[in-house]
Amino acid sequence: MKHINPIIRPTVTTILLAVCTLLSPVGAQTVKDHIRENPAYASCNYHIYPDSINAKLTPAPKGKQPFYISHYGRHGSRYISNRSGFDEPFMMMMHADSLDELTPTGQRVLEVMKQIMNNSEDRWGELTEHGRRQHREIIRRMAERFPEVLGDTAHVEARSTIVPRCIMSMGTAMMELAQINPRLRITMESSKRTMDYMNYQDLELRKTQMTAEAKKAYDKFIANRMGNTRLMELIFKNPDIVNEIVDEDYFNYYLMKMGLFQVHTPLSKNTYITDIFHIDELYRLWEVDNAIWYIRHGACKLNGGTQPYSQRHLLRKIIADADSCIGLPYSTAQLRYGHETVLLPLVCLIGINGYDLETDDLEKLEAKGWWCPDVFPMGSNVQFIFYRSGPNDNDILFKVLLNEKEAKLPIRTDCAPYYHWRDFRKHYLKKIDAYKK
Amino acid sequence: MNQTKRIFFAVIFTLLTSLSAGAQSVAEELRNDVNRSAGLYYALPVPAIQTNTAPEGKKPFYINHYGSPVSYYLPEKACYEAPYSTLAKADSLGKLTELGHDVLQRVNRIRLDAWKRAGEVSTKGTRQARAMMQRMMEQNPDMLVDHAYFSARSAMHNHCIVTMDEAMLQLAAMHHPMQLNVRASLREERFMDPEDAYLVSLRTDSLTLAHYADFTARHTDDSRLMASLFNDPAYVTDAINPATLSQQLFKLAGSVQHTDLAGEVTLYDIFTPEEIHNHWLKQNAWNYICYGGYTQNSGYQAYMQRPLLRNMIHMGDSILKRNLNVGHIRYTHENVILSLACLMELDGYGLHTASLDSLEEKGWADYRIAPLGGSIEMIHYRSGSDDPDVLVKVLLNGREARLPIPTDCAPYYHWQDVKHYYLRKLYRYENRRFNQKTNQKTK
Repeated sequence: MKHINPIIRPTVTTILLAVCTLLSPVGAQTVKDHIRENPAYASCNYHIYPDSINAKLTPAPKGKQPFYISHYGRHGSRYISNRSGFDEPFMMMMHADSLDELTPTGQRVLEVMKQIMNNSEDRWGELTEHGRRQHREIIRRMAERFPEVLGDTAHVEARSTIVPRCIMSMGTAMMELAQINPRLRITMESSKRTMDYMNYQDLELRKTQMTAEAKKAYDKFIANRMGNTRLMELIFKNPDIVNEIVDEDYFNYYLMKMGLFQVHTPLSKNTYITDIFHIDELYRLWEVDNAIWYIRHGACKLNGGTQPYSQRHLLRKIIADADSCIGLPYSTAQLRYGHETVLLPLVCLIGINGYDLETDDLEKLEAKGWWCPDVFPMGSNVQFIFYRSGPNDNDILFKVLLNEKEAKLPIRTDCAPYYHWRDFRKHYLKKIDAYKK
Repeated sequence: MNQTKRIFFAVIFTLLTSLSAGAQSVAEELRNDVNRSAGLYYALPVPAIQTNTAPEGKKPFYINHYGSPVSYYLPEKACYEAPYSTLAKADSLGKLTELGHDVLQRVNRIRLDAWKRAGEVSTKGTRQARAMMQRMMEQNPDMLVDHAYFSARSAMHNHCIVTMDEAMLQLAAMHHPMQLNVRASLREERFMDPEDAYLVSLRTDSLTLAHYADFTARHTDDSRLMASLFNDPAYVTDAINPATLSQQLFKLAGSVQHTDLAGEVTLYDIFTPEEIHNHWLKQNAWNYICYGGYTQNSGYQAYMQRPLLRNMIHMGDSILKRNLNVGHIRYTHENVILSLACLMELDGYGLHTASLDSLEEKGWADYRIAPLGGSIEMIHYRSGSDDPDVLVKVLLNGREARLPIPTDCAPYYHWQDVKHYYLRKLYRYENRRFNQKTNQKTK
């Protein structure tokens, strides 16, 4: 059976859209463009890191050289952490199948689901080959872009959380780095001792994520976005009968996630499940997920806008680490490997590329450019690249790369994309000092 | 070469190796390095070890390596907290002697050093992992060629994963370009850390436990230690379990070698050499019962690792026609390595006996077989990919080991002989299990 692959078969709409995009004054891609190009974009934190990075970098500021890199990266592509997300739609389908309620399309979907379950069994949360490749490529680009930092016998201090996929991401990246430059002095550490900043989950703050106000706004926001009658009719012979065993909202949501997740696994070529969804349906999923991530980790006014402060310890550590490395006569890199639930609030706390957006209107997130899959796909990373003229330089400059592209900060500068380190220190130490629990 | 000549060489070799192995007694070895008494928690040093050059006309092309994790902190926080709280409580009641008070301070230092590190590879361990890999490659420099393929696997346990990452990082720095891959998956536990509920069920039957209890009773006397730590015998009787506390302190003593406190702090001085020896005897006997060839509990505990051995043989065959050099570098738990060495009968460690008292005399000492940082490497040699006579040698902890198989070229063995011997051994056991099952069904 031939099935439609929206990526390789341009339809009238896509051509029209492409023309519109060309004509649009901003020239930037819309969320739907992203989804059309790569459906995994719709699954937000399950989005996949790009295969190549084409962004050009601004040359080093005059008279200065990069000498220190500070980094926080998410582990690479992995299997889903536990089976519950897959079990949800799988059990519904098995149940429906036992009652002979599946259409031929439904049968085929169930077959693919069985393949997915077989492939994922005993691999929950594991780093996949895609994940290893991402980390090899990211570190290779870092070494190629900043040979001054990662050349010669520079010190590289790598840390990861104690979660195996993070240890493996770090290990894979460091092996690649040693292949590029065997003279580097690399140390690795994964310890419970560093978890209070490497993977700090602020349970107090978490309790305040879903305030009554936020819940009300969220429920209203998702009300018309969750269901999918077309899908029910496509998969089940009698949607109104299976209603008793299949929750339409859940089924739609989790089936989409299950399909999209395969982009990270050896089953990535089998897009059958993803392909049964229309772009609009994937887009609605994106809206729902993007909103929940905003409420949980963004500066959302519905819950007081303080959620990004969960990463105040990490930011303070990044500043302290930088301060101590700035004084060193040799080049250094500090590479940290962790999780998206740290990276996203960190980016929001710093306000990289406007992700410190404060609003109480979930409908505005898209228009305002708060698109979380741009921040934290599997393999995502923030790199601070520091520049100086020599060890005695008192005007250290740095720039921030979000997923290897130069990014903007909400502080003043006279040399964008570079910023003065002293301005950054002052601004952010003041900001986190002012935070009261 | 005819069979008689083969056997002759085998006998000579056996004599030679058994003589050299018997060079030092356990007591002497413990005296030379008391850390050995930690048994499986002994941190194997990494001296340069001279090994035989490759057999004439052949080169190594495949390494199948199973390694233990390197130095790590004791696995449970309780290992540190329990003895500390026992002593601290006694201190608060004024029940400690001067030595007892000093021991409390030392235990506290050890405990603070291990804070939030239970089960983690120590910095000494990371150096050890790299040094082990470096030595392995220095012993086999021909393995390091362009595009050689090294695939590393680890059991799903952080100290195994970290050991693997450190070792592979060392490897990556030694030659380039190579193809390196690290993985850890529960999927592969079946040949990394297999389970066998039936064997476990046999492990500690009541008779075995009775024998062990008897052995333990004969080797336990903690009264001197208690009298040296506590100033009130009545308190010891009422509030202290001497055997437990003594064992906890002994375990802590053995853990210091893995940390940066080594050389600064010790707890071994509170034990007499005889007490240390006794602690070691008990723990060695227990390891033998659980992982060795103790005939009292069936004698088959080491067969737990038969999937590893089978995988080793299977991989050895499947790699034969590959042109590139290949390394399968695996890291699993120390008890797995212990059993595997017993199953492979390396250096006579396949020993079967019902007498726990005879282990020391027969040379079955846990720290010799599977210390932290230890490994079993099977290295395959050939002249070319069409060589019909592949040779292998096995290194146990970096030293050439003796296999229970006749050979005319020790320490090398003919792959075909090795394969047949082990496959037959596995077959015999599996056949036995199968018959058992059938008999049970027909009853």
